Amino acid sequence: MIQFINVSKSYDGDIVLKDVSFTIEKGEFAFLTGPSGVGKTTLLKLIYCAERADTGEIVVGGWDLKKIRQRTIPYLRRSVGVVFQDFRLLMNKSVFDNVALALRIHDMHPQEIKQYVGDVLREVKLKHKENILPEHLSGGEQQRVVIARAMVSKPTVILADEPTGNLDADTSKAIMGLFREINARGATVLIATHNDSLFHGMGRRVFYLKDAHIEKEVVE
Amino acid sequence: MRMVLFAVETALKSLWHEKWINLLTVLSISIGLLIISAFAAITQNLDSVLKRWSRDFGLVVYLKDDLSSEAEDTLKAFFQNDSDIREIRYISKEQAIEDLRLTLGRQKSVLEGFDNNPLPSSFELTLKSELLNAAYVERKASEIKALNGVDDVQYGEKWLSSLSALANIMKVSAAFLGGAVFIAIAFITYSTIKIFFYRRKDEIETLKLLGATASFIRLPFLLEGLIIGVMAGVLSSIGLFSAYELIVSKVSEFLPSINIVMVPLTLKAYFPAPLAGALMSFLGSIVAVGKIKY
Ligand SMILES: Nc1ncnc2c1ncn2[C@@H]1O[C@H](COP(=O)(O)OP(=O)(O)OP(=O)(O)O)[C@@H](O)[C@H]1O
Ligand SMILES: [Mg+2]
Repeated sequence: MIQFINVSKSYDGDIVLKDVSFTIEKGEFAFLTGPSGVGKTTLLKLIYCAERADTGEIVVGGWDLKKIRQRTIPYLRRSVGVVFQDFRLLMNKSVFDNVALALRIHDMHPQEIKQYVGDVLREVKLKHKENILPEHLSGGEQQRVVIARAMVSKPTVILADEPTGNLDADTSKAIMGLFREINARGATVLIATHNDSLFHGMGRRVFYLKDAHIEKEVVE
Repeated sequence: MRMVLFAVETALKSLWHEKWINLLTVLSISIGLLIISAFAAITQNLDSVLKRWSRDFGLVVYLKDDLSSEAEDTLKAFFQNDSDIREIRYISKEQAIEDLRLTLGRQKSVLEGFDNNPLPSSFELTLKSELLNAAYVERKASEIKALNGVDDVQYGEKWLSSLSALANIMKVSAAFLGGAVFIAIAFITYSTIKIFFYRRKDEIETLKLLGATASFIRLPFLLEGLIIGVMAGVLSSIGLFSAYELIVSKVSEFLPSINIVMVPLTLKAYFPAPLAGALMSFLGSIVAVGKIKY
């Protein structure tokens, strides 16, 4: 589903990723870990074309990202749901509208949108706050809105960047439960985190990023 | 289709949200349009005055005093055969003096000093109105003057040439002014939409990351530009209409002759400027949004 072959990426000469290769299978649930600043977010961005690789090949779904055309990128992004590390919620729009946005760009019928958004907000336990602006939500609640937005369009891939950033253990567990649920329905899930308690004892593949390359790949 | 509806909704929200900037933009554009419309209206009026006046425009052909009636008939036949001439009116010496008496009214006694009629007989020729330009009329007049039995040809050459020159000047300057104002309109909308675009940069970035297409992002801004242009156009048309009504009703109280000069504006006068304004405003917003890069 996601394949990196000798991918390198640098920002203004600072090498962040060098010759990174790995493959994540369809329906897999995998983790990407490493210290802060190592390049986890950068690697995820390469997958949804927010950054472009300097060299190497990236294949996502059927798309060869080296050859993907500008006008095709929106369609790639629609099949990849992203939980952004910095949330990227629209502060002047309600919780409902924020989540609905991911469907509006799909040109979905308003009635259907209402149904889908209602369902997903129930799932993240925020249905009762759907008319509230994000700034009036707690950090954990905002996090859940972002997750709801990423999953509402039922994308084939979910990328979650530090989805439990600064949440307590219980809330983190609940959120991980959500991702397992999404994965069980068939989506490929890749979670980037430096919190090793998220993947300990999960029996999933974990990619350790260090010094610009994948140092090891362990099933934990 | 739903995308369009959503874009309309987004555009209207933004119009309302930024109502003061938008109001200012609409006002600036409508002032520009009003200037063009006023110019166009004046040109149109001038044109119609010229047309109306030239309908009665005639060449007066004074005949030599001792001309025989056969010679007069020959001339008349000549004029009748000329397809440029619409109407021929013969005025005999007697008719001429009678006309003059009528015109002079109580002062007609000045004519009593003459033993015999000093006025020549004449033909009044009316030319087809589409031929009424100064150069043509001048040529025609000199042609006729060269005919046998013609003493002199008179026409309002000064009037004709200055009026048509004025109309031409008005037309050219209206075109120039119009061009300048239209470009200004595009610039005004350009800067307004550019401001909105920058203000919503973060939101646009998020939309792109969620998979919105370029047209999905672009459309609300283009609609906003279009709506601004249309509103400004409507406003300027209302302004033009009121100003025109005001002039006709108020000014004619003091200056009744203005009714002769002013023609009622046709619908034609109200549509082009708003349409062009909307178009230019739309173009301005297209340039402002530019290419959406991924
Ligand atoms: N747009 C950018 N321009 C320049 N440098 C960047 C840019 N984005 C990231 N970097 C640099 O690339 C490196 C990797 O950043 P990245 O955000 O991928 O790290 P990370 O592993 O996600 O860290 P964290 O765990 O703190 O989120 C950092 O040194 C960062 O400063
Ligand atoms: Mg990061």
